[in-house]
Amino acid sequence: MAKPETPKRRGASSPAVSIGGADQSGTGSDEELLIAVGNKQNRAAFDKLFKRFANRIFAMGMKLTRNEQLAHDLVQEAMLTVWQKAPLYDLDRGTAQSWIFTLTRNRCFDMLRKQKRQPATVNADDIWPQEGEHDGNLVHEEQASQEVEIEQIEKFYSDLPPAQQAVVEQIYIHDRTHEEAASVLNIPLGTLKSRLRLGVGKLRQMVGTEND
Amino acid sequence: MTEQITLHPTQEMLAGFASGSLPAGLTVAISAHVERCSACRHCTSEMEAESTVAWLQDSDKDEAANDQDFSHMIDAIISEPQQQAAVVDSEAFTEIHVHERSVTLPRVLAKVASEGLVWKNIGGGINQAQVVLDDETQCEFIYMKPGSQVPVHRHQGNEITLVLDGSFSDEMGEYKASDFVQLTSSHQHQPTSEEGCLCFAVIDSPLTFTKGGARLMNPFLRYKFRKATSQRV
Repeated sequence: MAKPETPKRRGASSPAVSIGGADQSGTGSDEELLIAVGNKQNRAAFDKLFKRFANRIFAMGMKLTRNEQLAHDLVQEAMLTVWQKAPLYDLDRGTAQSWIFTLTRNRCFDMLRKQKRQPATVNADDIWPQEGEHDGNLVHEEQASQEVEIEQIEKFYSDLPPAQQAVVEQIYIHDRTHEEAASVLNIPLGTLKSRLRLGVGKLRQMVGTEND
Repeated sequence: MTEQITLHPTQEMLAGFASGSLPAGLTVAISAHVERCSACRHCTSEMEAESTVAWLQDSDKDEAANDQDFSHMIDAIISEPQQQAAVVDSEAFTEIHVHERSVTLPRVLAKVASEGLVWKNIGGGINQAQVVLDDETQCEFIYMKPGSQVPVHRHQGNEITLVLDGSFSDEMGEYKASDFVQLTSSHQHQPTSEEGCLCFAVIDSPLTFTKGGARLMNPFLRYKFRKATSQRV
């Protein structure tokens, strides 16, 4: 039986987030599309995101390189990164728009340095690290602040991506410590912690959306 | 680190950092400070949100995407695997050993130093290790031994010094770990360090030593700067 989870947002330092962040008419906020891409590899959602952002990325590329080919390359690099890292996105990271902006900024920074043949010792991911220094204990320290139906949680839990579901199962259903869970699943502790953070984050989102 | 950081990058610098428009050397120095400073982290986060708004407003008037071109790109992208977990390199070294001291570096500087630093003794108890990050700035790690002093000098451009460990002082103040010290061409100063310190400095034009025998160094410094900023990988 899964423990009730809290939909509480984490930390005063997260930027203000609004779920309905659609900038064009039509179904699906940017956040919903990005989460669908991350959770379910949803091609249609990625397609929509691509069409919403490709121009803007191209425009940033043109502004900084004045070169159509490089701007075109930037669209490819940035959207590839969006695809690859979509499973790591959750609402605690801010809006989908600013998440995509920072990815594009990073790819652009690397691209420009490569073009100018500057040393590759550091890259954008070193300079603007994405993943939580703020990871780890958060999940166990969350306090339940809202009643959640068991049936709801079970449904949401079964909607999680398999990797995250497995981790949530070990921690919340089998009551294992982080170390034990990592050992059982045969994954590094760091991987366990980040999948746990993501899985719980997604549960919180789903609960939050349900109860809005 | 229980003491408060008192010196930070300016708002303008943080905005440049958030939008990725600064030279790499300066960007790295700001990144290293931000890693240690929650106030600047928060500020950067807000500026990223503002930059996002500006970015989206800026290109609002563009023509619609050419669907033909992009569908091939989309196909290629979605055939790639997704990343399921954050990549955390727990093996990465973060400590640097200089003389008898062992200092934990901010991750970005540990990466910069990871290919090996070449330390040069420039006299007066000062050691420098230069790193090339871009073609606009000269970057170096500076180690000041306890009781050491840099000759009086003036800057023609801007100098940023991020204190990594220990402390130093000059005529204008005292600087301790994680302080982000900015000096411009109007400053002439003589840094000294009682307890010793390790810093990361970024300069955008050559220092000019202003007193005595040290002035003989000037032509060499200009040469060093030109050489540093013209290096290519």
